Amino acid sequence: MRRAFSQALFELATHEGRLAFITADLGFQVFDDFEKRFPSRYVNVGVAEAQGIYVAAGMAAEGWLPITYSIASFATGRPLEQIRFCVSYPALPVTLVGAGRGYTYSTSGVSHHAVDDIALMSALPNMRVVIPGDPGEIAQLLPQVVASRGPSYFTVGRFGEPRFDAEEQAILDKARLLRGGKTPVAIFTTGEMANEVLAAHRLLTAQGIEPRIYQLHTVKPLDTATLEWVATEVAAMVIVEEHLPNGGLWSAIASWHAAANSTVKMKRLGPPDRYALGTVEHGELRRRLGYDAQSIADTCRTLCQTCT
Amino acid sequence: MATSPDQSIAMSLDAMGQKAREIRATCVQLAFDGKQGHLNGAMSSVELLIALYYSFLRCYPGQIAHPGRDRFVFSKGHACKSLYAVLADRGLIPRESLATYATNDSHLPSHPCKHALPLLDASSGSLGHGLGLVTGMAYALRLDQNPARCVAFLSDGECNEGSTWEAAMFAAAHKLDSVLAVVDYNGVQSVGRTDDLTGGASFEAKFRAFGWATRSINGHDFEQILSALAAVPFEKGHPTAIIAHTKAGAGVSFMEDQVLWHYRVPSREQVEQAFAELGARPIYTRGPT
Repeated sequence: MRRAFSQALFELATHEGRLAFITADLGFQVFDDFEKRFPSRYVNVGVAEAQGIYVAAGMAAEGWLPITYSIASFATGRPLEQIRFCVSYPALPVTLVGAGRGYTYSTSGVSHHAVDDIALMSALPNMRVVIPGDPGEIAQLLPQVVASRGPSYFTVGRFGEPRFDAEEQAILDKARLLRGGKTPVAIFTTGEMANEVLAAHRLLTAQGIEPRIYQLHTVKPLDTATLEWVATEVAAMVIVEEHLPNGGLWSAIASWHAAANSTVKMKRLGPPDRYALGTVEHGELRRRLGYDAQSIADTCRTLCQTCT
Repeated sequence: MATSPDQSIAMSLDAMGQKAREIRATCVQLAFDGKQGHLNGAMSSVELLIALYYSFLRCYPGQIAHPGRDRFVFSKGHACKSLYAVLADRGLIPRESLATYATNDSHLPSHPCKHALPLLDASSGSLGHGLGLVTGMAYALRLDQNPARCVAFLSDGECNEGSTWEAAMFAAAHKLDSVLAVVDYNGVQSVGRTDDLTGGASFEAKFRAFGWATRSINGHDFEQILSALAAVPFEKGHPTAIIAHTKAGAGVSFMEDQVLWHYRVPSREQVEQAFAELGARPIYTRGPT
């Protein structure tokens, strides 16, 4: 996804002359082409995430379209006050890019885990939160995010994630149907978890179970119209997220569910509200915390037995 | 659209001194009317703001988004009584708007908000943001080949914030000599004295160590302020810091150098006493109450 991001960024910059890229000393060799082609629009502020936000905010106030870049945990929590006061409050067109969100850097320790980023960014008025799931969504959504001319949080995974196909194009602010199905269960997920969910889908279809799968690449604003429609079509919704239980996709959908007085059954799969201590490889961590493909498939199978 | 800015207004030093007394009286009245504290930091900034707005900043009255205007961020937002008073005196906002200060739906809230007062280049109230923001503006303006200058007006207390020094590093690294930081070094913070909290290290030495060109002046002496501003940028290729030694609560004996007056709202008697000491009255009349 990082390669897809640097390519999408480069392409966007070739026809968007006011786009600037601001890194907090990260992205070794990933943005060399951009730097070479657009040297004045490439700024490395150093290990100074707060200053990165100031440069972006100041440039945006002067009519530029800055994109800031850091590892997701340092891109959000670290300069939160700068983002809140200097970007979201004045509603400036800054795109904040967080690389390697969730437990992408699981073995690097808690410092590098970004499982509160959606909560932090969603809490800010004016802020759009976009969590693409594969290189295709990066390429499709980045231009839409920049064109939205508002504050946005946009995430990028690491290198080499698989591309997935889908029933629909990725349209900003709209839930994206990845797989249709006749089973009265719908799975909602966001970001790179889509790949885990699609793996679960393969396990389930082999057993004749076909849940529909929606990728909510835009977590905020939440596509409640699609949720309302799906809620009338299925008996249960499964929400799979690599985020703490507070303030992520589950939290957003649960808020909608309560306000809409929906009676559809809801189930969350994702990490619990605690720090993931120790060195555990990403896939194993998902397995231990009960939201890997097998766990997702097992949950759906059980739901199908009780729902039908 | 005006082709030349309304930058400098010829005024004698005596006239500037008189203006400073009126602005101080206005600050005291605003504190009383709006029932707001933070007077001492407003009083310390008066001469600096007058000098900036009357003889330095390129302004285009009536054209708030004019690209040629100098950018100005009043980073010590809590002290904005002096800013509002000078903006009104300078004709950039209506004088009568001062009577609405800190009331419901006012353009002049107790901390400056760009949504309420669009002529601001940024909102303030949360400390430590002003310098970083102007470095971003300066970087963008240089790309646009726009010679506008970018000024951050800082309190000494807000330089406690590490973000101020991230910005100082960036401005020097990028040789942003269109950036000017004015530090209102009044020595008093919210609950203590600046030097006690910072170890007393010299502001001038700190900014110089970060690659800035600096000068220390008496921030109540118009001659010194004007001569420093006239020399900006002090060195080509270096951002400029003016360390203005001032007195918190300057001009009113019972407020001077008192931490207490970071908070206190003056009583009617204290307001009258302040006017008497200043020998001046506010520049606006309070509406009927």
